[in-house]
Amino acid sequence: MAYTTFSKIANDAMKEPMFFGNPVNVARYDQQKFEVFEKLIEKQLSFFWRPEEIDVSRDRIDFMNLPDHEQHIFISNLKYQTLLDSIQGRSPNIALLPIVSLPELETWIETWSFSETIHSRSYTHILRNLFTDPSEVFEDIVTNEEIQKRASDIAGYYDALIHAVQFMQLHGLAKQESIDYINLDGLKEKLSLRSIKKKLYLCICSINALEAIRFYVSFACSFAFAERDLLEGNAKIIKLIARDEALHLNSTQQILNLWADGKDDPEMAEIALECFAEGREIFLQAAEQEKEWAEYLFKDGSMIGLNKEILCQYVEYIANQRMQAIGYEAPFEVKTNPIPWINHWLVSDNVQVAPQEAEISSYLVGQINSKVDSDDLSSFEL
Amino acid sequence: MSKTLTVDGIEYPLDTQKTLLENLESQAIKVEFHCRDGHCGACRCALLSGKVNYISYPMAYVREKDILTCCSQSDNDIKISTY
Repeated sequence: MAYTTFSKIANDAMKEPMFFGNPVNVARYDQQKFEVFEKLIEKQLSFFWRPEEIDVSRDRIDFMNLPDHEQHIFISNLKYQTLLDSIQGRSPNIALLPIVSLPELETWIETWSFSETIHSRSYTHILRNLFTDPSEVFEDIVTNEEIQKRASDIAGYYDALIHAVQFMQLHGLAKQESIDYINLDGLKEKLSLRSIKKKLYLCICSINALEAIRFYVSFACSFAFAERDLLEGNAKIIKLIARDEALHLNSTQQILNLWADGKDDPEMAEIALECFAEGREIFLQAAEQEKEWAEYLFKDGSMIGLNKEILCQYVEYIANQRMQAIGYEAPFEVKTNPIPWINHWLVSDNVQVAPQEAEISSYLVGQINSKVDSDDLSSFEL
Repeated sequence: MSKTLTVDGIEYPLDTQKTLLENLESQAIKVEFHCRDGHCGACRCALLSGKVNYISYPMAYVREKDILTCCSQSDNDIKISTY
């Protein structure tokens, strides 16, 4: 089946599955099979922001005053966030749009991916302010081994799905006797709609692990600086990004849960059961990689309020939470949040960006003169 | 008569004007929350008995018997358990 930009089949979108049904034709939102995606679009649009709205000019001074090992933590963290959003700014579109069958879900995917491009633009905004020439930082993202390790893991599931779908849409699945499908590992693979659906399931698991675990580990680092009143402009941007990410992770949780609970394509419900162990492994693998990343971040020393152990505990804590949300058992022992202060950065409605409001705390501190000499009281008489 | 909120087997007074999350916090019960807007799902709890009214649309995926505490209130006695 080839992709068509406007399918002439007069189908009822209310009866289509989320993916691999008829291609979407009329972009109508008066009715929705799954109302939540329409709500997500509305919410995401209401969250619209631009990186230039946030003043990051003070961050340069803070950054210059950081010791070397803290500069390493800050910059490595930012590089990792840049990688994650580089992937997310394009991949949902390329991987999911050719196979989506519901108009509200199609528009959600576009809205979602677009907001990730704003995140990417904000990293440039931050880095441009910190360095006269940020090229070195950007260029390191594709050569840094530690970042590469996770990049290939995240992109792998997307690429496998995209590749198989492209083959299916170009050649169809019926003629595989005459045209072999050679997968990304260079091996011949027999494709069926079910095996491609499996790739989709694993891909959504991997996206969810990215948005629900990996991102939050990096947020913890950004906010840890701001808890010390350092690099507050950066934290303000990350706060806006975190607010968007909560919506994105919600959408992939919705997709996984709708499949698992049998509310969408019945074949996907079977696949959810079949791939239960593989899906779980994706989350455990992501948690493991994030712990290795914590090791790399803090290799030269920790910072006040955050070290390797605490960040690893947070990885386990957030992994427990996220896995429970999609029906898995919590795999780790940790029961309480090791960094409870992070929650206050994740509240969606008190995002504050106006500079005069942001600077209030430091402004007040400057007014108080704590040195009192006995001379100051010399004119007092009792 | 005052209403009660039972959390993990312990009874607390219930303020019907506040959300369940605010009720929990006013009793100094440590519970998870992120967005406080119903879309992230972090405050999910299990509903053992009683009923909740959502003051805004609960956008996160809630299974049957689950509730989001950040955007719900209760008019009557209610029992919940944390995850």
